[in-house]
Amino acid sequence: MAFKSRFFANMKISRKLVAVFLATSLIAMGVNLFIYINLNMALEKINSVFSSNISLNELSDNLNQIHSGLTGYLETKGTDDLELYYSSTQTMEELMKDLNSTVTNNSVKLSERDIRNMLETYLKTADEAIQAKRGRNIDEYTAKYNECTKIRDYLNTYIYSVNNEQFKTNSNNYNALVNSLRYTEIMSLLIFAVASVMNVLLIVILTNTITRPLTRLSAKADEISQGSPENVEPLQVYSDDEVGKVTKAFNEMLASIKDYIARIRTQLITQSEMKEKNLLMETHLKDAQLKYLQSQINPHFLFNTLNAGAQLAMMEGADRTVEYIRNMADFFRYNVKKNSESVKLSEEIELVDSYIYILNVRFAGDILFEKEIDESLLGVMVPSMIIQPLVENSIKYGIKDVEPGEGKITLSVYREGDNCCIRVSDNGIGTDEDIIEKIMSNEKKPSETRGVGITNVMERLDLHYNNREVFEIKSKKNEGTQVTIKIPLEAGNV
Amino acid sequence: MVMKVSKNKVAVSILAGIVLVLFFATVAGLFFYREMIKDLGTAQEEDFTEYPRLYAYIAEDPDSQLSSRIYKEISEYAVENNCYVEMTGQNLSTSYSKADRMNIAISSKVDGIILEGDDSAETAELINKATANGIPVVTVLSDCQASARKSFVGLNNFSLGSEYGAELAAIGDLNKRYPLNALILLDRDDGNADDIIHAAIQQAVTGRLIRLNSAVVDTSTPFTSEESVMNILDGLETIPDVIICLNDRTTESAIQCIVEKNLVGKTTILGYYDSDTILKAIDRGSVYATFAIETKTVAKQCVNALNEYHDTGFVSDYFSSNYVLINRSNITEYQTEEKEDGI
Repeated sequence: MAFKSRFFANMKISRKLVAVFLATSLIAMGVNLFIYINLNMALEKINSVFSSNISLNELSDNLNQIHSGLTGYLETKGTDDLELYYSSTQTMEELMKDLNSTVTNNSVKLSERDIRNMLETYLKTADEAIQAKRGRNIDEYTAKYNECTKIRDYLNTYIYSVNNEQFKTNSNNYNALVNSLRYTEIMSLLIFAVASVMNVLLIVILTNTITRPLTRLSAKADEISQGSPENVEPLQVYSDDEVGKVTKAFNEMLASIKDYIARIRTQLITQSEMKEKNLLMETHLKDAQLKYLQSQINPHFLFNTLNAGAQLAMMEGADRTVEYIRNMADFFRYNVKKNSESVKLSEEIELVDSYIYILNVRFAGDILFEKEIDESLLGVMVPSMIIQPLVENSIKYGIKDVEPGEGKITLSVYREGDNCCIRVSDNGIGTDEDIIEKIMSNEKKPSETRGVGITNVMERLDLHYNNREVFEIKSKKNEGTQVTIKIPLEAGNV
Repeated sequence: MVMKVSKNKVAVSILAGIVLVLFFATVAGLFFYREMIKDLGTAQEEDFTEYPRLYAYIAEDPDSQLSSRIYKEISEYAVENNCYVEMTGQNLSTSYSKADRMNIAISSKVDGIILEGDDSAETAELINKATANGIPVVTVLSDCQASARKSFVGLNNFSLGSEYGAELAAIGDLNKRYPLNALILLDRDDGNADDIIHAAIQQAVTGRLIRLNSAVVDTSTPFTSEESVMNILDGLETIPDVIICLNDRTTESAIQCIVEKNLVGKTTILGYYDSDTILKAIDRGSVYATFAIETKTVAKQCVNALNEYHDTGFVSDYFSSNYVLINRSNITEYQTEEKEDGI
């Protein structure tokens, strides 16, 4: 059965449909044929009901022919009559074979026996009459003829009576047959009805097996169209027909949709993370710039007025003043100009140079500034405004309490492996361990660092270099602080 | 979804179950249908038994109750003894005479004939013809002494007559009415037998004040008997005190006539046979007494006689049968016995 259903399930839909209609048609045809054949049998039976009457009539006709032959022969000795007599006798002997010869308690059968015996007596007597005619014994053949006439009379009465009796029985049989036939008609109608209901149910079941996978498929499609394909389970494939193939394809499509959605989701997450990072960086830069501007107050105006001051000093022949004012103007210009993210390392160093110059003028050359620069690294692109805050920090917190002329700040740029290292070191009082820890763990608030703080530089470096550890602070009490930034030398950053 | 699928599966399984049931119903229906068609007509074919011998029973009047009863008894006994008896000429479209029925029996080559005999030459001749054809003939109830019949089974008519005479005398004694007028209704066809009875009655009442008259009833057709009795009674100046009937048909006709002519109580009947009508009439008093032949014994004797002849080639010439007198004193007892015998 399982094999059969599998076999059926794997058939093509067109074949399935043909099979369904063929099966039901065959059932209907078989039932029809069976009933038709049996009904024919019944009709044949009905036709044969009156056959006994027919044979009795034949018997009677034949007897009368014999008798007329006998009469004719006895009257005129005609050969035609004799021939009729003999031929009829021969037929009669054949007909007599069908008659019952035994004694039974069935009245018709018993009458048949009587008829048969009387016919024998008749034929014997008739024969004797003919013999007597040939012997021209008038008395004898007359007596025999009379006896024959009597027996013929009895026979006709018997045949007539048996015929009647049989007709009655046959009519009863006929009626019984016709009545039974009515029952069989009802029966056949019942069978037809049952077979039809069965056929209808069979069609329902088989078409259901064909359409059920389609219904399930459309239900799945509906589910997907409602908008959550990732929660939709794939369909089970039951058959290898067209629907089975479509179901397989549907499952594959569902899988690829799910895969596609997953990929897009990851992409979106990455993109939004990137965006968030960029935004954060921008925010920090802006924050740095704002703080810078806040501290420096309108650098445009400042460096324009400074330029005007420089020109004035030049006209007055004050060269040092000119130099000082130019440095100040450069310092402020840098901030106006370099608002973009990355700058060359050389520009950062120039900014530090201007800053130190200004400070030295201000503090009368108290700050000793040394540079150890690997010239090959000057073109390295770095985030802007990362060195000046470190230098400012060293001046403000490192060497502020050192004796004038003793404070020294060293800026080193060198290569270390794949990194470009920028180190700002001082010989100041050093920084406490816990402060360094706070700075490194980003706990120290910007207000505590005063001005553009080291924290800002750190965060920007973190964002720029994806949290790589590029920032390092080393300090010893009364021996100074050393801050190192390790810029990774990647392709295109040289 | 899972629920849906399982529901669908259940529905399909139920449908499949129904289809299976319907399929078996269809197949069973087709088999039943085939059996129905096969059985058509076979029910009408009766079972029948074959017998080695066939005897013909030829009654004087096949329609009389006595003959019917004797035939019934003979048939039953014959079947028990492995032979079959047919009442020749019965159930035919024509009513044949006794002679014709004899002829039919002879030409249909029966194995023996049980015949209600008579003294006519024609009957004797036919019995001889049958004997010549190797068919033994046994006469019953009335004999045909002049023929080659093999045996006679019947009553002794003379002793029956004497019994009638004795009953007649008893009526006279009972009524104390003398002279007692009695009318004997003789059957035209019975001839000699009735004459013997008549003579015996006469002899039995000799010396008593009993006047015995006789009249002949025409029983040649089934309808003439009652008319004939009525005519006889109408023709009489005085109604007889006792009407003596020597066969069943005249007895029943006489009962009918005295009821019709309102003669119950004025006359009484000495009848013959024990039909329901006659027994009822005894109960009501219109019949004084009736003589009934023991049909069972008669039937046995007839069949035995023919069988014995077939088996041995010889048979007794005469088997005497008994008769029973039924009157008001024993009618209940008699009826009970008859019922027990299933008659």
